[in-house]
Amino acid sequence: MKAELANAELEQVDLAARAIAEPRRRQILALVRDEELSAGEIAAHFDVSRPAVSQHLTVLRGAGLLNERREGTSRLYRARPEGLADLRDFMNGFWTERLERLKLAAELEQQRRNKRGKRRDDGGGGRGRGVDRRKP
Amino acid sequence: MEAVEVEVWIAASPETVFDFFTDPGLMVQWMGRVVETDPQPGGGFRLEIRDDTVASGEYVAVEPPERVVFTWDWNSEDSVTKAGSSTVEVLLASERDGTHVRLIHTGLASAESATKHGHGWRHYLDRLATAAAGGDAGPDEFAEA
Repeated sequence: MKAELANAELEQVDLAARAIAEPRRRQILALVRDEELSAGEIAAHFDVSRPAVSQHLTVLRGAGLLNERREGTSRLYRARPEGLADLRDFMNGFWTERLERLKLAAELEQQRRNKRGKRRDDGGGGRGRGVDRRKP
Repeated sequence: MEAVEVEVWIAASPETVFDFFTDPGLMVQWMGRVVETDPQPGGGFRLEIRDDTVASGEYVAVEPPERVVFTWDWNSEDSVTKAGSSTVEVLLASERDGTHVRLIHTGLASAESATKHGHGWRHYLDRLATAAAGGDAGPDEFAEA
């Protein structure tokens, strides 16, 4: 399974997925999507300690979702949209690859079920005939 | 950054394909190791995609053989994930002696959705404050608390 995705890529996306799984971090991203803000300005929007906000900023930066720029003594933050685009590309690739596997597995399974159904038919009889048919 | 949509045609009936979203013995064939699954609305599932990568969520709708909806979260043992942060809808339709599968993954990172998922906020906020006061922990570490 590992060969399917470059490890580094998966790790990066994993980081991004986890980073945005936390609601407050999504809020931070929303705040700095269109404007650059300092850590203090970001913290002012939240009801939590500055260190806690700093932690969120660190996680977001580590996940490639946030750019940091120094200006004098302050650090300014802005969302890095490419980070989210990467995540979307990853999910797209992930599901595409999974559905290919699903296709292979389901087609095999269908052949198995067809054979089983046929055998039952050949075996002549109504008994045990009900191949799972759940038509609405 | 709203949704990902992927389609595939499969030479199998919708009934057969549907089972691959609910039956652990079949799920394992395409989704990785199935740790648990409870395919009914509100029931959970947990999959090990790789050793260190776990996906989990909750079934929202289970309508054989044409539709299944579940929430989807990437997480590790120590991460905080709120159920519902992203949602996968799978639509199965009979087509050309097979099944047309449409998978739509929404809410991946929609920043706007942050406020919609605000319930549980207070609870989490308290935890965060506690952890911060203890001078401990990256945000992901106190998930288990």
